[in-house]
Amino acid sequence: MSVRRGADPGTEGIRSARDDVGPIPRKNVGPVAWFDIRKRGLGQFAFSLNRLTGLGLVFYLYLHLAVLSTLFRGQEAWDDFLGIATTKAFLLLDVLLVFGLLAHGLNGLRLALIGSGRGIDHQKALYRSCQVIGTILLLGAALHILGGD
Amino acid sequence: MAARTTDATTSAPAGRSRTWVWTAGTGVALLALVTIHMVAHHFVVERMGGLRTYEDVLDYVANPVMFVIECVFLVVVTIHSMLGLRSVLFDFGLSDRAKRLTDRGLIALGVLTVAYGFLLIGVLASRA
Repeated sequence: MSVRRGADPGTEGIRSARDDVGPIPRKNVGPVAWFDIRKRGLGQFAFSLNRLTGLGLVFYLYLHLAVLSTLFRGQEAWDDFLGIATTKAFLLLDVLLVFGLLAHGLNGLRLALIGSGRGIDHQKALYRSCQVIGTILLLGAALHILGGD
Repeated sequence: MAARTTDATTSAPAGRSRTWVWTAGTGVALLALVTIHMVAHHFVVERMGGLRTYEDVLDYVANPVMFVIECVFLVVVTIHSMLGLRSVLFDFGLSDRAKRLTDRGLIALGVLTVAYGFLLIGVLASRA
């Protein structure tokens, strides 16, 4: 099946292409479309969330490597960093990181399933399931990280 | 042309499909690797935030199993990140030449990232 750039493939389009492996077709493409939530469905919202959390996680990857470079400078430098990293404000950023990982990971898993032709008829249920599982895991992680367990 | 595409301006469906398979494959692998990494760094150590002391970090990376897992994690997360960035950049509707340059730039960035990460892990493991 052929779908032009910008064309709406619809559920039938997705279903008829289930034998193909690849990304899910969307109504609009481009960074501006990520933020345009007018008359958009769940799929577009999930796609935009995946893009934004993905960019955030790439930023975090390099921030993480920069922070870990402190270990090159020895124990004293690392202890100084731990003094900052164990403050409540900093730990809240860790909770934000867990949110990003869960949102991107679970939604990515859903996209991988649908993109490989599995669960297309149940994609909304899949999305809701990911939301529930993600929320439970996030609450558990937040309680642990912030010392509430 | 296959329907499952968002960057339909390229003319290599097979290559695009391969990219998607790599993105999805590394993504699924990351679910396990990130879980191990997060649990090891936030849910094992009994202190606020679960963060490791300097000595704890050295002991952690000196463990051969964790050393290998962290190295694999670094490679997989870098591949997934570069493919994700590529996908985002291609959303800007780049020309074919710009796409080729983007590919080369991301490969270079990925290689540098993995090299720096290996250096970091190696130096720390050697200090234990």
